[in-house]
Amino acid sequence: MNDVVIRTEGLVKDYGAVRALAGLDLEVDRGEIFGFLGPNGAGKSTTIRVLLDLLRPTAGRAEVLGSTPAAGGPALRARLGYLPGELAMSGRRTAGQLLRYLARLRGGAGSDGIGPLAERFGLDLDRPIRGLSKGNKQKVGVVQAFMHRPELLILDEPTSGLDPLLQREFLDLVTEARDAGATVFMSSHVLSEIEDVAGRVAIIRDGVVVDTDDVRTLRQRAGQLIELRFADRIDPGTFAGLPGLEDVTIDGSTLRCLLRGEPDALLKAAASHHVVAWSAQDRELEDLFLDFYRAPVDDRRAREVTH
Amino acid sequence: MAADTAAPATVFGGVMTDQRRSLVLWSLALAAIATMYIGIYPVMGVEDMSAMVDDLPDAMVNAFGYDEIGTPAGYITSTVYGLLGPILLSVFAIATGTRLVAGQEEDGTLELELTAPVGRARVLLERLAALWLNVTLLVGVVTVVTVVLVILLDLDVAIGNVLAGSAGLLLLVVGFGTVGLAVGAVTGRRAIGLGVAAGFAVVAFMLDAIGPTVEAEWMTAISPFSWFLEGRPLFTGVDWADLALLAAVPVVATIVAVVGFTRRDLLT
Repeated sequence: MNDVVIRTEGLVKDYGAVRALAGLDLEVDRGEIFGFLGPNGAGKSTTIRVLLDLLRPTAGRAEVLGSTPAAGGPALRARLGYLPGELAMSGRRTAGQLLRYLARLRGGAGSDGIGPLAERFGLDLDRPIRGLSKGNKQKVGVVQAFMHRPELLILDEPTSGLDPLLQREFLDLVTEARDAGATVFMSSHVLSEIEDVAGRVAIIRDGVVVDTDDVRTLRQRAGQLIELRFADRIDPGTFAGLPGLEDVTIDGSTLRCLLRGEPDALLKAAASHHVVAWSAQDRELEDLFLDFYRAPVDDRRAREVTH
Repeated sequence: MAADTAAPATVFGGVMTDQRRSLVLWSLALAAIATMYIGIYPVMGVEDMSAMVDDLPDAMVNAFGYDEIGTPAGYITSTVYGLLGPILLSVFAIATGTRLVAGQEEDGTLELELTAPVGRARVLLERLAALWLNVTLLVGVVTVVTVVLVILLDLDVAIGNVLAGSAGLLLLVVGFGTVGLAVGAVTGRRAIGLGVAAGFAVVAFMLDAIGPTVEAEWMTAISPFSWFLEGRPLFTGVDWADLALLAAVPVVATIVAVVGFTRRDLLT
């Protein structure tokens, strides 16, 4: 059994003179929820379209469930569920007619999944497609991606257009699919949207993956913003050089710092003073995200070479 | 796992369902126009029309084939089969053909079909087949109206000749529509498909119209419009060589479409 369901090696995609993917390496394991993160224009959709054989690689290699997208053809796509990033639907057909048509394109697979999923997301199947709001169209997209219980779900910005309540419902659906044995590959430009469900995350920037890690590790690396208020002015020396502490600033009787790792040393040092208030705020993973984008690519490459 | 792909003609059926409304409206319009033109033939005196044609410049008479307008076969050729039929049907075929692949690719509505377990070539060919059936049905409407009126008004045109004209008209228009679909499928741009196919149709018409006037035989030799009308099907019936030439256009365009569409990047 092949345990890597998506593998790209040095994937390059040019659109004329524009290089959209510049040697992208990815490995997604069977049974995981894998987040694919990057800002708009970083190459997320291009990667996904290569995986679905809409685009053909300029160089490098992509493999999905053991074959290249082109060689896998329809038989491979029968095992996938795909939610496009910009779902375009029009016409007089109702949502139900369109979904039943899409099930027919799968030889009927998924036709029994339409009703329950539509009900779960509150999608009215009798409404014509072209009158649907963006959110309702996204629901149609979700239903068609999940209805046939595919082995691998490829979801491009799946939470866009869904209100917060439905985002929650959607993430539950993703988790259930994973628990049932499916692999989920989902892109987003907002990390907080998927950090609750994703196991591992790859960060893409300018067509290359700059980091792949556990969400938890990323979270730890992002750290917490700590604020402590004391009864009296404090001596800055007390908190200098404590492990895991960065950016320490002391403003009169208030200490602010960025904590990465365990808070033990900080708490023990603070305990010798009278603490009147404290707060520890998870730093938005977006901040970490931004750290990656601020670093020029050449820097990072140079660092990778010296490793 | 073989059951997980679409049954034959699923895409075809989907397109036909979407086309129903437009097909009904076009049928009604074509039937009305054909009825109107052929229906007034007995009321228009032959002398009136000959007199009218005599007043026109010779070049125009030749261009529109009005020299035989005094006979029923000539009249039907000059109006329904040689002018309005090809123009209206070509507009339909080119607009529909370019929309069914390039247009729906550009607006994104083809994405879910192309990522379903259906091969690219099959998506293209079933959509093309739907276009051909659409055109066939509309040519059928024109044919039925013409045959019925020929019988009702007791016009001196053989039914077999009407059918021969319809066969040529069908292949001519299927050719234009397929060229539009193919150019759109190869380039991914509907506008290019529209431009090339419409240009092809106009040039074919112009060569057929100008050729005899300037006595340039090569013009009518290469014009599909001449392949359709030069043999005067409503007078003489089927010319198999001309029909074969007409049929070559959609066949070649289909091959180009499949090769181009299966090789390039989609939805870019």
